[in-house]
Amino acid sequence: MALSIVGSCVNCRACEPLCPSEAVFEDKPHFRIDAKKCTECEGEFADAQCASICPIEGAILDAAGEAMNPPGSLTGIPPECMAEAMAELQAH
Amino acid sequence: MESKVLGRIGPRVAKSGCAAAGSCGGTDEQLAHLPEEIRKKVYNHPCYSEQAHHYFARMHVAVAPACNIQCHYCNRKYDCANESRPGVVSELLTPEQAVKKTLAVAASIPQMAVLGVAGPGDPLANPERTFATFRALSEQAPDIKLCVSTNGLALPDWVDELAKCNIDHVTITINCVDPEVGAGIYPWIFWNNRRIKGVKGVKILIERQQKGLEMLVERGILVKVNSVMIPGVNDEHLAEVSRVVKQKGAFLHNVMPLIAKAEHGTFYGVMGQRGPTHGELQALQDACAGNMNVMRHCRQCRADAVGMLGEDRGAEFAMDKIETMEIDYAAAMPRRARVHAAINEELAAKRAGTVHVPSAPPSPAGTKYRPVLMAVATAGGGLINRHFGHAREFLVYEASSQGVRFVGHRKADRYCGGGDTCGDGESALAGIIRILEGCEAVLCSRIGYEPWELLEQAGVQPNGEHAMEPIEEAVMAVYREMIDLGKLDAGHDAMQSKARA
Repeated sequence: MALSIVGSCVNCRACEPLCPSEAVFEDKPHFRIDAKKCTECEGEFADAQCASICPIEGAILDAAGEAMNPPGSLTGIPPECMAEAMAELQAH
Repeated sequence: MESKVLGRIGPRVAKSGCAAAGSCGGTDEQLAHLPEEIRKKVYNHPCYSEQAHHYFARMHVAVAPACNIQCHYCNRKYDCANESRPGVVSELLTPEQAVKKTLAVAASIPQMAVLGVAGPGDPLANPERTFATFRALSEQAPDIKLCVSTNGLALPDWVDELAKCNIDHVTITINCVDPEVGAGIYPWIFWNNRRIKGVKGVKILIERQQKGLEMLVERGILVKVNSVMIPGVNDEHLAEVSRVVKQKGAFLHNVMPLIAKAEHGTFYGVMGQRGPTHGELQALQDACAGNMNVMRHCRQCRADAVGMLGEDRGAEFAMDKIETMEIDYAAAMPRRARVHAAINEELAAKRAGTVHVPSAPPSPAGTKYRPVLMAVATAGGGLINRHFGHAREFLVYEASSQGVRFVGHRKADRYCGGGDTCGDGESALAGIIRILEGCEAVLCSRIGYEPWELLEQAGVQPNGEHAMEPIEEAVMAVYREMIDLGKLDAGHDAMQSKARA
């Protein structure tokens, strides 16, 4: 039972000092979570701390590999609008 | 210079000065109503004093990547070397690197007076890194002013620590004092170990911002308030923000235009929220000026900008270059002190009015000439000293029968210098002509034949006759010339447009 950080992490460091288990550590190319130490903040906080401050949708996954913050949940941008805007830009 | 010039703006600014101070005193400069102690702190700060920004440089160090809120105008993923706007940064520094970079810049650019931590996240959401930088610099470079820019959420917790580090300037970004308005700007905050969405989160943010503002004012720390003007979201609300923050003791309000494009990947950019026009921004700044001092020279610089406002010499001081530099700061300090003293002397002479200032043209009884906007290309020093083709920005001044006043600046590079792969391919000159909309003349040290013709066709009169002259004097001279040529006579405009048609 552990969370993980994936490639879309932007190394903003916000999660690292919040982790009650000191499971988050700096690494290249991005921060990572030590699965042996991670408790998903069980018994410490109502919500996993790293996933509660992370600004990047999809950068932190739960134990099942699902995004803790799915597309649109943090920015408020409906995923279809984002896709449309990006397609429009690439067309140019 | 500024004192006399601004004094002629007339009732509006004079009234705001009086209202704030309770008495007018003998001077009418924009910041003149402030107590002497505060004025001393402001006069050499390029971000706070319109006058100082022509002479003193500033730099930001990007030591603070983490943030505790999300704003709809920010995208935490974005990083492009061609982007020049707040929150964007290419190179994150450790506090040790930041100190070394600051000393290197201050030693090679003696005009560098101010070091700020402004992001790219929120400085106070990275307290260890931010304060390690401040503590080291307050010891090693006591001649550099330190300042910080924050969203305010963590501010009340750090006010005492800021005071300990001799930070006498803080900027708080306050976009609203009404949570309902704020819900359209901030999707969430991180507070007390929870992510709090919507109005509930904004309510906490507003309370913390206001509390932080009050605590800073109590301790005599100067507070500037930044607001982003977002048409249809908070534009009508910002006059109220201005009133509230002034009443609590903020000394300057800086209303900035929203920057939003789809390629930024921000909520506003993707959802098609537009930024304000130059005219809308100026109208709101004028409305807020009834409440308090309004700043018009902000350049919305990057979180790692270096140099005079409007320029960015960051590339000269990239970390790989700094690492190899030998810096003898002790030797640089006396040289810096001499440069600062000379600039301060010049500024003091201008404030005292011993420097010649332009006088308004006498209008014949019964006539009143309309005001005229003019763009100016300058490289600093308050002079017309930049070639048109080299200008990356233009300062805009308004000349009227009441004198000359600075009303804002316009960027020539549209926030991007990326060439073919970036931007919409519009030719540089067409872009400049578009941003000069509303200006009837452009004053520069020199200008080429081709842009001259195109500018003239677009109704903007190029003028290279006032090279190296003080800006306000030159603007007034051109205004007088327009009057003498009958260009401002009633009916002239109609005839002109008829002739063009």
